[in-house]
Amino acid sequence: MSMRLCIFKWLLLPVVALFSMSAYSQESLDAQGYRDKWNKLIPRYGKAQFAGSIGVFSFGPGWNYSKNRLETDILFGFLPKFSDTRARVTFTLKQNYLPWRVNLGEKWYFEPLNCGLFMNSIMNKRYWLSEPSKYPKGGYYKFATKVRFNIFVGQRFTFKTDRNGMRSVSGYYEISSCDLYILSAVTNKYLKPKDYLSLALGLKIQIL
Amino acid sequence: MLIYFAMGYRNFLIFFSVFILSGCDLIDYHPYDARVRTDTDINNKNIEEIERICENKDTLRFVLMADSQGFYDETRDFVRHVNARGDVDFVIHGGDIADFGATLEFKWVHDIMSELDVPYVALIGNHDIIGNGLYVYKEMYGELNFSFIAARTKFLCLNTNALEFDYGENVPDFNFIKSEQSADNGLYDRTIAVMHAKPKSDQFSNNVADYFQYMLKQFKGLMFCLHSHDHSLQAVDIFEDGVMYYGCSCMKDRNYIFIEITPEGYEYEVVYF
Repeated sequence: MSMRLCIFKWLLLPVVALFSMSAYSQESLDAQGYRDKWNKLIPRYGKAQFAGSIGVFSFGPGWNYSKNRLETDILFGFLPKFSDTRARVTFTLKQNYLPWRVNLGEKWYFEPLNCGLFMNSIMNKRYWLSEPSKYPKGGYYKFATKVRFNIFVGQRFTFKTDRNGMRSVSGYYEISSCDLYILSAVTNKYLKPKDYLSLALGLKIQIL
Repeated sequence: MLIYFAMGYRNFLIFFSVFILSGCDLIDYHPYDARVRTDTDINNKNIEEIERICENKDTLRFVLMADSQGFYDETRDFVRHVNARGDVDFVIHGGDIADFGATLEFKWVHDIMSELDVPYVALIGNHDIIGNGLYVYKEMYGELNFSFIAARTKFLCLNTNALEFDYGENVPDFNFIKSEQSADNGLYDRTIAVMHAKPKSDQFSNNVADYFQYMLKQFKGLMFCLHSHDHSLQAVDIFEDGVMYYGCSCMKDRNYIFIEITPEGYEYEVVYF
C-alpha cells in the first residue's frame, strides 16, 4: 500500500468514525440534527499565506472552535522550481492557539498572541517518511526528509466586516522554525536567529 | 500589545513596517526550497584561483577536511585555525557539507568556508544528496566529478556515493575517469584521487571496486587517494597494492589532514585545532 493512502486512512478513519458515532448517539435523532452535525465540518474560514517554510504561497480552509481560541488549518503550498528539477506542492496541517483578544474600537480587534504547531509534507517521491530499504538497517540518516515539524508565534489584526459570507478579514504575521533548524541552532552558537527563523505574512477571511 | 500602547498607533505602524522590511533575511520558502541565496559555481571559480596560485610552485601544501554537517562552530574554528597558520595553498572539503540536505545548511557552511584566506573546493557527500540537496550542490558547487591541476599534480575529484543514486547514474563515472586519463596530458606528472566514500564502504558501488582501483592506477604517477565519510582518521592500503587511502575525520573531532607535496614525495600530518 502506498504511504500516502496509509496516512490518509489513519487520519480520516477515526475522524469519520467518531463523528458518525457522536451524531448518531444524540437522544432525539432526526434528519435535521444529523445534518447539523455534519454541517459543522464545513470550513469556517480560508487563509492565504506568503512564505513561512511551507511554500512561497499557500492557501487552504480551516475551522475555529473553543470560543475561537483554537483554529485548525489545512494549507496547500506552492514551491517554484528554483534549482530543483520542477515545482512542488506541499501540504500543511496547522494548529493555532489564540488565548487573548483585545478590542480596538468597534470594527477592529487585535490578537496579541497566536502560537502553535504545524506539520508540513512535501509532495514528492524523493522524500521519505521512513528510510527506503536500500539503506543499512538500524537507521542510516535517522530522520524523515518528508515531514517537518514547526513551532510558531505571531500576532493578528482583524477587521469586522459583518457581511454575509465574509464576517471578518484578518492580517497576520508569524515567526516559525522547523525541527531541523532548531536542532542546528541548539548545537551551534554560530547560528543566529536570522539564520534559523522564518517569517510568514498572511490573510484570513472568516466566512461563517 | 504593550509595544502598541507605549508607541501609539502611528509609531507602531512604522516600527511594524521596518520589522517586516528587515525580515527579508527571514523569508524561507521551505527547508527544501532549493533557492540558492549565495554564490554559485564555487568550485570552478576557486579552481581558477588555485591553478593561478599554484602555477609555478614545486611544493604544494593543502588541507583535507570534511563532514561539516551540523558542526558549524567547529568549522568556523577550523577556518580561523587555517587562516592563522598561513602556509596552506588551498583546502579540499571532502563532502557532507550539509547534514539534512536542506538548502540553508549549504549556505551556512559556505558562509563559513568563504572566510578562508585561501580558495576551497567541495566534493559531494551522501548527506548532500538527500532531499533535493543534489540540485543545491550542483547550483552552488557545479559538476559532481571534476578535476584540477596544481603544481603539475592532478586532483581527480569523484562522486562515489552510489547508494544515493539507485544505479540511475554512473557512480563512479568511468566515462569521466577515462576521459580524464588523456585530458591535460602534458600538464601533470602525478595524480591524487579524492572522494567522499572510499571503496568497500557502505556507499560505494563495491561490485566495481577492483575495476575502480585499476582505472585509478592508469593515471600518471598515482600517489595516494583521499576520502572522508567514516568520521574517523584512517590510513589504509585498501587493495593491498601499495596505494594508500587517507581518510579525514568529521569537523566535530576538530582535526584535519595537512599534506605537503614536494618534487621528491609527500608528507602527511594530522592537525588538531
